[in-house]
Amino acid sequence: MRSLNWQKKLGRDGHRVKFSGRPVAMHCHHYNINLQKTLEDTLGEQGVHLVYRSSEEAIFEDFKSILGQYKSIKAEKSKFEMAALLFQNSGMGIIRVERMGPDGGVFVSPSNHHVTGWLAKHGRRATPGCHFVRGWIAGILEAIYDRPLGYYTVEEQTCKMVRDGECVFAVRVTNNGD
Amino acid sequence: MAIDGNKIIHAVMEGSRIRESKGIIPLFGVYLSIFSTNYYNKLSFGFEKMLKERKPEAEALLVRAAQECGYATFQGVRNSWEWEEIVKPMIDRKEDQIEGFLAVAVAFGWGDLKVRKLVPGETLVIQATGSYEASGYLEQYQKAGSGKCYMLRGVTGAMMDLLYGKDYPEGCFTFSADEHLCRAKGDAYCEFTARKSPD
Repeated sequence: MRSLNWQKKLGRDGHRVKFSGRPVAMHCHHYNINLQKTLEDTLGEQGVHLVYRSSEEAIFEDFKSILGQYKSIKAEKSKFEMAALLFQNSGMGIIRVERMGPDGGVFVSPSNHHVTGWLAKHGRRATPGCHFVRGWIAGILEAIYDRPLGYYTVEEQTCKMVRDGECVFAVRVTNNGD
Repeated sequence: MAIDGNKIIHAVMEGSRIRESKGIIPLFGVYLSIFSTNYYNKLSFGFEKMLKERKPEAEALLVRAAQECGYATFQGVRNSWEWEEIVKPMIDRKEDQIEGFLAVAVAFGWGDLKVRKLVPGETLVIQATGSYEASGYLEQYQKAGSGKCYMLRGVTGAMMDLLYGKDYPEGCFTFSADEHLCRAKGDAYCEFTARKSPD
């Protein structure tokens, strides 16, 4: 696989920071977690969904663009490896595919930015809280399998924010009733 | 000695290429992430739209989230070994810290930021060209009726809090900022003014 050269792809265009030609910004856990908490506290489940959907839409657009720049990468496995590399190099943490096919599967994250940030700022949660990562997985899969946004639904079965050992994400095709 | 912003930008760009084994970027005393500006704009403007008639409350909450963040972030930044090694030797007086903070913010991709005016203990005016919030709003929506750079507005207040508020962590919200000029509403640039918050 012609691998993603992170060092070369992250650069500046004047004051803008870009990755693979797409605008990015660096933010720390204080901001990412503050935004999530503000949305959850104010809007409840709608706020959770906004974090999920925003992450899904943003990574869907970006990863489609990245895949377009690496047309020689055709194997599904290589695309997953590229996605995991992107996740890690964005400072988002570690993610691996446990099993995955066009109809669903399982992703596992043994560590991630949002868990580290949430625990540092607020300690243990009562419910799973990796809404950003859920949306990210959905967007990545919709880009890889060339499906429309919303095609996949990702649920978090265990979460390190509630002190489980790992964050485990179950992926399924969205039902009409979802 | 004047603050050399390019030196700080270079340090951030180099540091942001370092990952520890858990895929976390520890840099300038914080855990850093690198992600699409679209994500942040979708969150902020989506939140604002969802609150509809409670728009002032949405704005206040977004600015507050950013100010708390800026307060904790730049406190971490100025206590980091990177600051000690790279920025501190360039600081001659307390106010130089603002230039150091702005260079870090520019390095983070928040916009091209410059101090227009600083009255110690009273007022800070920051001008931004290329704020990703204003750019994002203009791409997604029509011209705005009010300023849209909630993150930079909060951060402007936070910088004054750190310099002239009570010692950390007691000084947050001593200052508050408004955005009287914003590219999202058709101005040539965005401008933020922080003043003492009303008692």
